[in-house]
Amino acid sequence: MTRFIFKRLGIALGVLLAATYLFFLLAANAGDPLEDLRASNQQNREELIAARTAELNLDVPVPVRYFYWAADAVTGDLGTDYRTGQEVTEMIGKASGQTLKLIGFSSVAAIVLGVMIGVISALRQYTGFDYGVTVVNFLLYSLPSFWVAVLLKQWGAIGFNDFLADPTIPPLALLIIGGVLGVVVGAAVGGAWKSRLIVGGTTAVLTMAVLAFMSWSGWFLDPSLGPVVILILGVGFALAVTFLAAGLNNRKALYTSLVMAAVGGIAWWPMQMAFGYTDGLVAFIQLIGFIVAGYVVGLLFRGPDKKISARVGAITGGLVYGLLWLDYLMSWWLPYTETSTINGRPIATVGSSTPQLADNTNYWVGTIDTYTHMILPIMAIILISLAGYTRYMRGSMLEVMNLDYIRTARAKGLPERTVVMRHGFRNALIPLATIIPVDLASLIGGAVITETVFGWNGMGKLFVTALREVNTNVLMGYFLVTGVLLVIGNMIADILYAVLDPRIRVDA
Amino acid sequence: MKLGAWSKGLAVAAAATLSLAACSAQSAIVENTAVTVAWNQPLYSFNSSTSSGNATANAVILYLTQQSFNYYDADQQLIDNEDFGTMELVSEDPMTVKYTINDDVTWSDGVAVDTTDLLLNWAALSGYFNEGEPEYDEETGVIVPSDSSVWFDSVVYGTAISDTELPTIDDDGALELTYTVPSIDWRLNMTGVGVPAHVVAQRALGIEDAEEAKQAVYDAIMNSDTETLIQLANVWNLDFDTTAMPAEADQNILVGNGAYEVTDFVEGEYITLQAREDYAAGPAPSVETITVRYITDPLASIQAIQNGEISITQPQATSDILEAAEALGDAVTIDSEPEAVYEHIDLNFSNGGPFDPATYGGDAETAKIVRQAFITAVDVNEVLDKLIIPLQANAEWNQSQVFLPGAPGYDESVAANGSEVYGQGDAEAAMAMLEEAGVETPIDVNMLYASNNTRRVNEFTLYQAQLAEAGFNLIDGGNESWGSLLGTPDYDAWFFGWQSTSTSPLGAESIFRSDGGSNFTGYANETVDSLYDELSTEFDEAAQRELLAQIDAELWNDAYGITIFQFPGVTVYDSEMTGVSTSPLSPTIFWNYWEWGIPAAE
Repeated sequence: MTRFIFKRLGIALGVLLAATYLFFLLAANAGDPLEDLRASNQQNREELIAARTAELNLDVPVPVRYFYWAADAVTGDLGTDYRTGQEVTEMIGKASGQTLKLIGFSSVAAIVLGVMIGVISALRQYTGFDYGVTVVNFLLYSLPSFWVAVLLKQWGAIGFNDFLADPTIPPLALLIIGGVLGVVVGAAVGGAWKSRLIVGGTTAVLTMAVLAFMSWSGWFLDPSLGPVVILILGVGFALAVTFLAAGLNNRKALYTSLVMAAVGGIAWWPMQMAFGYTDGLVAFIQLIGFIVAGYVVGLLFRGPDKKISARVGAITGGLVYGLLWLDYLMSWWLPYTETSTINGRPIATVGSSTPQLADNTNYWVGTIDTYTHMILPIMAIILISLAGYTRYMRGSMLEVMNLDYIRTARAKGLPERTVVMRHGFRNALIPLATIIPVDLASLIGGAVITETVFGWNGMGKLFVTALREVNTNVLMGYFLVTGVLLVIGNMIADILYAVLDPRIRVDA
Repeated sequence: MKLGAWSKGLAVAAAATLSLAACSAQSAIVENTAVTVAWNQPLYSFNSSTSSGNATANAVILYLTQQSFNYYDADQQLIDNEDFGTMELVSEDPMTVKYTINDDVTWSDGVAVDTTDLLLNWAALSGYFNEGEPEYDEETGVIVPSDSSVWFDSVVYGTAISDTELPTIDDDGALELTYTVPSIDWRLNMTGVGVPAHVVAQRALGIEDAEEAKQAVYDAIMNSDTETLIQLANVWNLDFDTTAMPAEADQNILVGNGAYEVTDFVEGEYITLQAREDYAAGPAPSVETITVRYITDPLASIQAIQNGEISITQPQATSDILEAAEALGDAVTIDSEPEAVYEHIDLNFSNGGPFDPATYGGDAETAKIVRQAFITAVDVNEVLDKLIIPLQANAEWNQSQVFLPGAPGYDESVAANGSEVYGQGDAEAAMAMLEEAGVETPIDVNMLYASNNTRRVNEFTLYQAQLAEAGFNLIDGGNESWGSLLGTPDYDAWFFGWQSTSTSPLGAESIFRSDGGSNFTGYANETVDSLYDELSTEFDEAAQRELLAQIDAELWNDAYGITIFQFPGVTVYDSEMTGVSTSPLSPTIFWNYWEWGIPAAE
């Protein structure tokens, strides 16, 4: 393995060297860095052109100029932006931070959603749901991102903000939303027509009722969950988690998760106090506290496998804390939207924070502000990258579910839940684990279009701006960082594959 | 629950307005008024006089934070700002300018603005103490702080301001600057005091007290103290560069003497400016807070205005953007105004091509007729109708080589410069001229332009068709690196845009003078040269305009080339705003910020 890694490293280094040289030739020939001066009628134009030529070594032929850059890059000095005098390393540091914030969140969401939809659609192969998912996937996959972004702004921001001025959902919209959701859920459930109708119908009616209540009570202006809703949702989570991770027959696990749901409902009162002093770090500690509490409850209930009970408890605990956190966050929504800088239009179309809010805010308002700015770009990225993960997961799951050992597992009488979750799902994840590192590495390069349209100062925008200004140093810095990450991502994928799948050998 | 939310609302509102609440009633500032302006490039230096800091992105913000002796209005008139101080020409020979700064002008940290600030600005701009050559970092290209020689990296080093003597300061604190070479641009050569002298000295020399710091600057300049000047220059060159709110200890680089001061600056996102209360150095601002948000995508700025995130934007004018803005209806107002960039076709006089007398055996008259035929055949109106009017309904042909439309003197010059016979697409007349001169057609003309610019590609297609009718065969010489190819013998003609940065009468001198640095065409006309000589010592503005009009007429008479149009600009702003106006010259939309009005937030 060590030999393999070193060999790969060696090759990667060679590839990087050649690639940077090629890219330098392209970058330096991307345009004329003197263009703005050439069209200027400043009286000392000649001197300014001469000075910039000297600064950027424009009198040195490009193939040779590369070595000026490379000599410094080797020592870790990536140079500066000739326009602003900023250090390239500093610029990339800041831009990649922004990109990580955006891409990190949306990638995790896209992977989780993609895996979920992919698995369900594989289990319901060749049903209406499967075909429906396939059609929607290809539709999303083929959408141009600048267009998605503009539409999202028009409806998700401007439309939603207009809606908030008078937040009542018209009856027709209620019917449509409830109906569509009912059909989707009914299709996803599977089984006999009768049970599907019941589940789908219930979903539709329930959705309509809840939305109608929210619309009637002005929930969209001043949202909250309250202890009762948290308790109900907590029980729902408890059942779902237990069903997926342990099976409802595992009574000890079920009790553990139900206890955690009850804890959530009761903890609402003390947490109102505690949240008043919460910042990011405290919230994280609180989350860990709930997870540990769930784990301990699980251990106390024991059951056939105490670890399973503990795991169920921990997951439920974490989810319940999420509900509490969300509820408290919601209580700040009204004050947030009523500030003069927001002025009743909370969802933003550009930037990553509201000017003049930043200084005068607490953790909760700051969090809301961040999410009102991030939600649209995140949705844009999810919509476009979801399809790939869904299709990949569906294929992988189908392949695994048709293997002999799954038949064997079924033959020996294992419950379907165990077959799917433990034998099927886990093995189907292996190929996915090998594409994710590469995907993430390339995503650091930034979502060029999404970032530009949403005014997000990440790597993608850095690249576009630098290209427009023929800023060779910045372009090279960008290329070097993304290139190195891509090479590392590829290598991690290779190694991960060998670790996860014992059948693969990576002998050099 | 309700009460809880309500009290939180109060808390947030109180916190948010805490910094705004301290406003006094005596000024014209309307409380709780805020305007957000979209701009495409973030500020990166609070010193726009260095060669790297000289950019519109910096200048527009500094226009709000630094005051000056004069400013341009929307009609490109230079208006004196006597609230700040005065600048007067006390003698023409030797040429001496006297600067007086009013007593009540202060920096935003409370220190008085005085002649020491002016003195440092002069020393920096003129490069009076500069020695040798600056040292640039081999690779990164940034100027290296020097420890052995003085180098103020001034963007105007080598221009008129450099031909001056060490100023004198009289007992009243007025500064007198004597030019060794007279400069009719004396109003434009040094318009303000630049960065605060006491801050430069505090940072360079580690002096804490502001008055002591000023004294140190004064002494260093008056005594040519190289040691100290080196340190001052290094701070002046580099310390004012920042792309985000500086750390507490470095916030003195934000000190300004203008109507607004910087209160927040988030990298790449926005900069927030707050109206100063103790401000008397110019027209009193009315809007309390101005935030400039950095949005590069033009459509994004239109959607942001629809969503109430910004109030004013000047997006790049394209038909898509205009359509999107028009779709917003009465909620926004759309103003179309030309920018200070003008498109023009130049003809090469010196490459042995069709416009060079050498081609006709030195027969200057024939070459001139060919040039006249060329610009006679060009149809300016078709270009305007197809490319510019859709973006700016009131666009007109720019008929002067030396004045921008709307500038003082333009109308008089156009009336007499003889340009009206050209640019009307009269192919027949052009043919007749060529025939009379006995020149064989078709004439090949290799034309250079920016091939990576869609508008210019479209322009070329139009010119090609227009000129083909008159017997000119336009060869497509479009090139992405057109800038470095200007004036090379391969090209017989080219078109691009000149960017005007001021209304200096000498602005175009380097283009039209036979030995001018930007004279790519090889145009040489002794009359023009001598008119420029005369102009350079003519202080009377009416007489200046008269001389420029003569130059303009000479240029058209020689068929130097043809000016086409000014770049169309569009301003879209919230209809609730009043007093918005734009100037073709920097700082465009910001020029009359004190006239802006917007309803106060509740």
